[in-house]
Amino acid sequence: MKALRDPVVLLAAPAVLYLTLLYALPLGWLLAKSFSGPAGLTLQPYTEFFGDPFNWRVIGNTLGSALWVTVVCLAIGYPAGFALARAGTAMQIAMLVAIILPLSVGVVVKAFAWQIVLRRDGVVSQFLVALGIWDEPQRLLFTEAGLVLGAANIFLPFMILPIYSVVKLIDPRLSEAGATLGATPSYRFVRITFPLTLPGVVSGVAFVFSMSVSMYVIPSLLIGDRFQTLSTLTGRSFLFMRNEQLGSTTAVILLALAIAVVVASSWLARRLGSTE
Amino acid sequence: MIMAHSSFLDVSGAEKSFGAVTVLGGVDLRVAQGEFVSLLGPSGCGKTTLLRAVAGLLGLDRGTVKLDGEDITAKPPHRRDVGVVFQNYALFPHLTVAENVAFGLKARRRAAAETREAVTQFLELVHLSALADRSVRALSGGQQQRVAVARALAVRPKLLLLDEPFSALDRKLRETMQIDLRRLLRELGTTSVFVTHDQDEALTMSDRIAVMNRGAIEQFDAPEAIYRRPATAFALEFVGLSTMLAGTVTAQDGTTVAVDTAFGPLRAHGNFVPGAKVLLAVRPERIKVEPAGDFAFAARLRDAVFQGSKVQLHFEAAEGDRLMVETADLPHGVPAPGTELKLGWAVADTLIYPAPAS
Repeated sequence: MKALRDPVVLLAAPAVLYLTLLYALPLGWLLAKSFSGPAGLTLQPYTEFFGDPFNWRVIGNTLGSALWVTVVCLAIGYPAGFALARAGTAMQIAMLVAIILPLSVGVVVKAFAWQIVLRRDGVVSQFLVALGIWDEPQRLLFTEAGLVLGAANIFLPFMILPIYSVVKLIDPRLSEAGATLGATPSYRFVRITFPLTLPGVVSGVAFVFSMSVSMYVIPSLLIGDRFQTLSTLTGRSFLFMRNEQLGSTTAVILLALAIAVVVASSWLARRLGSTE
Repeated sequence: MIMAHSSFLDVSGAEKSFGAVTVLGGVDLRVAQGEFVSLLGPSGCGKTTLLRAVAGLLGLDRGTVKLDGEDITAKPPHRRDVGVVFQNYALFPHLTVAENVAFGLKARRRAAAETREAVTQFLELVHLSALADRSVRALSGGQQQRVAVARALAVRPKLLLLDEPFSALDRKLRETMQIDLRRLLRELGTTSVFVTHDQDEALTMSDRIAVMNRGAIEQFDAPEAIYRRPATAFALEFVGLSTMLAGTVTAQDGTTVAVDTAFGPLRAHGNFVPGAKVLLAVRPERIKVEPAGDFAFAARLRDAVFQGSKVQLHFEAAEGDRLMVETADLPHGVPAPGTELKLGWAVADTLIYPAPAS
């Protein structure tokens, strides 16, 4: 009874209760469901799933699109995080507002907007034709490039913000110290600045990858049914096929893959970031 | 004495403004090879700006910087061969002690064996060999400072700049580290420029001190000369304590002037026209209490501060004046406040300056 009076227990209780009831229990149910057959415990749903080449395509689609979205977000978000951290106060506020405000617009709304942008007569197509890169208008909607473009836009803030926050903490004198020791600007970036931003890169990558590996609405609206991912397949199994076994199996595989990739990438980054 | 004529570092006409604020107003600084020079002054006097300009971390509006006969004014910092120990040390937090020291050698693509040898040597010189593989984050302030010194010296720079490297350390540690660092730099023969606002630090460590005020060097001389003969009222005030009396010149006789002060007429060596407002000063240890022969005047003791090896006596003085004496020689013990004492000093010990415009 004494433990109940411990403030830590009391403070954590609502969160524990909430997460147990609404997250841990359903997840447990999902896990149990995927491993149970008519004759008790079984691995059959998994052997069946991995036996079908179509499902391998689905896994490839899922990981591939998530990887591309993450790469695009990193390529744009890394320099943007620097620009944000090194900008003047007024500029910084303006940029932060520009990054954070779009988060208040729902994903569905944004995905619909991208449908219009990516059409054959959409802005992107017109722009590329005007630049002379494309000879004639083309449709990006319902292509993988269109999916990556739209998803990267939606998840970009989750890459920029963690990188921004670590860059802001780097003492500019470290780079100056490197310079007085004879290090060229590029050597300083590789050996000082970049390793110190790795924690931000790791959290940005973990955010964006785990969000884009499990995205459901965006692929549904930007690429459609011909491109199945683990999460759209999970959705279809529950909603249209009423196949709870398949749905829980794909959900568990998705979860395992996402965790594996995020853990592996942060481990890799920590190794790269530590001394050579 | 060091030959002050051959200049190894030669800064001339250095000017720098930030917006409307002039931080350096045409500074000249010449430092001989192997010399240890301090830039001493209050915050905002331009000493750190001058240091950063020499390191190449800041561009000058006008003026040149020459090092070892070569004009380096336009060179970026990584090609200047000028090492810096920063005020907050700026150690690389993701590297170990040894990797921090090796950084400059690796950046200069020295051979691995040479790098290893230099790291071992310099860690030994700063007594940190045992901590080579520690993360720099796990070190105390004093240890971090030594890593910063070893890192800057390991590449054997032509010139070492130190930006208040002791300011984050407690007093006792600071004193031993000052002596250690001075000895190390002397052994290596490293030419050094040291920025500080602490006069004791500057007096202890320097071959010469440049007293800076408002973007200009007011006096550049050996510590003893600066203490004994401050060139300006600012140098007098900034370095050491002194008695200061405002006065008006009443007569001039050859090299000596008579000055009227709140304590009566006094004399000093100087060249001022009668009627000129002046400031008279005497270092506290130059004043004799109850002198055997002539004395200047009598003053009433306000306070006596016992400091162990010496006693500091503060006397009642008019507003704006300050009258204090430091002495170890009080045959009758520390006098009580309120006692009237005779004070005297040699005319040659009287410093005289034009009264600062208020």
